[in-house]
Amino acid sequence: MDSPRGSLGSWELRSIVGNMFPLLVVLCVIVLWAGITLEDAQEMLEQYGILALMVPTMVDMGGNLGAILSSRLSTRLHLGTTDFDPRDRELWANVGAILALAATIFTALAFGAYLLGGLVGSALPLTTLLTIALVSGLSVAVIAVVFSFATTYASYRLGVDPDDTTIPIVTNVVDVFGMVIFIGVSALVLGF
Amino acid sequence: MSAREEFWSIYREALPILLVALGGGLFAGIVLEGMVGSVERFPGLFVMIPVFLATRGNVYGALGGRISSGLHQGLIEPTFERDERLVNAVAASFINGIGISVVIGVLTWLALLILGWEVAALYELVAIMLIAGVLTSVVLIFGLLALIFAGFESGYDPDNLVGPIVTTLGDIFGMLFMLFAIGLVEVLA
Repeated sequence: MDSPRGSLGSWELRSIVGNMFPLLVVLCVIVLWAGITLEDAQEMLEQYGILALMVPTMVDMGGNLGAILSSRLSTRLHLGTTDFDPRDRELWANVGAILALAATIFTALAFGAYLLGGLVGSALPLTTLLTIALVSGLSVAVIAVVFSFATTYASYRLGVDPDDTTIPIVTNVVDVFGMVIFIGVSALVLGF
Repeated sequence: MSAREEFWSIYREALPILLVALGGGLFAGIVLEGMVGSVERFPGLFVMIPVFLATRGNVYGALGGRISSGLHQGLIEPTFERDERLVNAVAASFINGIGISVVIGVLTWLALLILGWEVAALYELVAIMLIAGVLTSVVLIFGLLALIFAGFESGYDPDNLVGPIVTTLGDIFGMLFMLFAIGLVEVLA
């Protein structure tokens, strides 16, 4: 297609890379903390390989939940429902659904890790796995909810489009919490 | 809509997608477990894993968001053609995805140096990230476009597809290609 270069606007190669790359570097620096936590927990993971099975999900899922809620909240703001009234039952339905999803998914994660544990030759009792997955998972879900409200509201107030900057930041910050809390709770439960 | 209906509609809409992401996450976990032994050979490897996985979401999530709004606005067509916008978006994702992978290797090396922890050679960490970054970019960019185009043509809203597709594909292929890259660098270095 031979559209004149000027009309490409935000689809210009330089503008996509120029806008995106600095944000990516900032996000990397944030998530580096999660990496350092994981490296530090190396001995625990060597002893309990079954925990390694849960790591990618623990890193992603809080961010996924935060992204679902943030995009719903930002759609509400775009549509003109600008108040976060604590008496608004619809808002509480959103929060409740996120927490219910977290409870379901992290229970399924514990069962999944329990079943796959034999495959990697590492086992822990189901109750221990459920405790680790649900305590860390629900804590992360609560953090995801708080951060989604705070950043969606802040970006609305500051006039920034949440889709471009705040949602990636929420997702990555929540990912870090996911890792730090998961490793902390595991160490506590296993007495490491 | 009543609060109860709203609750169930969000729950029902999101659950299947999150369960697919859980499956991808558990698969990635099996691969990760296989890497535990390699950390002693390449200290710093575990620092890079969460950063590498998160970055896949950031780069290709942005591409997916851009493509799906482009489709909504009629700016691009749901086919692989030499459209300047599509080519630019794809080229930018390659540059961002591969460039940031190298940055991850360098940042990890620097962070561990500052902490005074044991760390592998800079070129080893950068090589692992570069190989894994290039391979993951190819699969994720073309896989994501193919799935979004197919979804769009069969009437799905691409907005609802992007996040979970990126997370799931990113976890699975990101970890597999990292495992491959570690093996390759182990042999070559």
